[in-house]
Amino acid sequence: MNLSIFTMGGYGLYVWSAFAFTFLVCFFLFLKSRKSLKKLESDFKDEVKKLSAEQVDTLKKGKISKEILTSQSKAK
Amino acid sequence: MLNFLSPGNLFVFFNKINKLITKILLPLAIVSLVFSLFLSPPDYIQGDSVRIMYVHVPSSWIALACFSLIGFLTIFNFLFKFKNSILIYKSLAPIGMSFCLISIVTGAIWGQPTWGTFWAWDARLTSMLILLVFYILFIFSYKFIQNQNLSSKICATLAALGIVNIFIVKYSVDFWSTLHQTSSVKILGDTSIDKSMLVPLTLMLLVFLVYCALIFLMKYRAEIIRMKKKGLKRL
Repeated sequence: MNLSIFTMGGYGLYVWSAFAFTFLVCFFLFLKSRKSLKKLESDFKDEVKKLSAEQVDTLKKGKISKEILTSQSKAK
Repeated sequence: MLNFLSPGNLFVFFNKINKLITKILLPLAIVSLVFSLFLSPPDYIQGDSVRIMYVHVPSSWIALACFSLIGFLTIFNFLFKFKNSILIYKSLAPIGMSFCLISIVTGAIWGQPTWGTFWAWDARLTSMLILLVFYILFIFSYKFIQNQNLSSKICATLAALGIVNIFIVKYSVDFWSTLHQTSSVKILGDTSIDKSMLVPLTLMLLVFLVYCALIFLMKYRAEIIRMKKKGLKRL
């Protein structure tokens, strides 16, 4: 097995740790953003459930609310 | 033009491009990693440690670009009360902060084999650290200050000061004698970097930009839902 890919002429530790750190930060930011988005979407859905049918109809007239509710039903 | 930039239109548009972004991110990342870790040649002086450049340099560019955009949007909002700019800068700030952190840490890791030290208080490194502090203060000021008017004033002040710091970051290597090298890639001038290294650098920048777009879309969507949730009480 060719170990030069990992050792990188003695700089492996530096190169791999820099890439690993970048990956970890990006992955953490992705997970955190996704988690908070999912939570907000489910909270929004719960709030909508409490509304009357008339209020839901009014809500669906708005472009954004309609889009949120549609994408949630697609996700189910 | 401003009608297209309304939260409603942007929300629908961003939802449409979200799927496309998710599809291209992974293949693009794999290709870029292969180029930057295996196919690009080692530097004749720095050896393989030069590969850190492929994450360090695009991160720095994105950190600077994000703050420049935030600065512009904050001042624009302060002057013209363009509400959507608040949603956009709130979505951009965590991305810029993360890339600023990546830039500082990968720079320190690169510094050890190249300069013999992880950190030196030279103009470029210190001004980047100050940029990170600006990002943190900016995020804190819109997250923890409940008074919208006061928060927007503080954000505008921080953004204006931060923009001055951006110029210091950019020209620090020209104004002062620093450990950090001068720019190798110039938009308006000769680029002194070889094509064999410029290709992976450009690819990695593209991956980071696509990733930023993905996170931005999630953050923007979250901000819109947060705003809509407040509006539900008024129905």
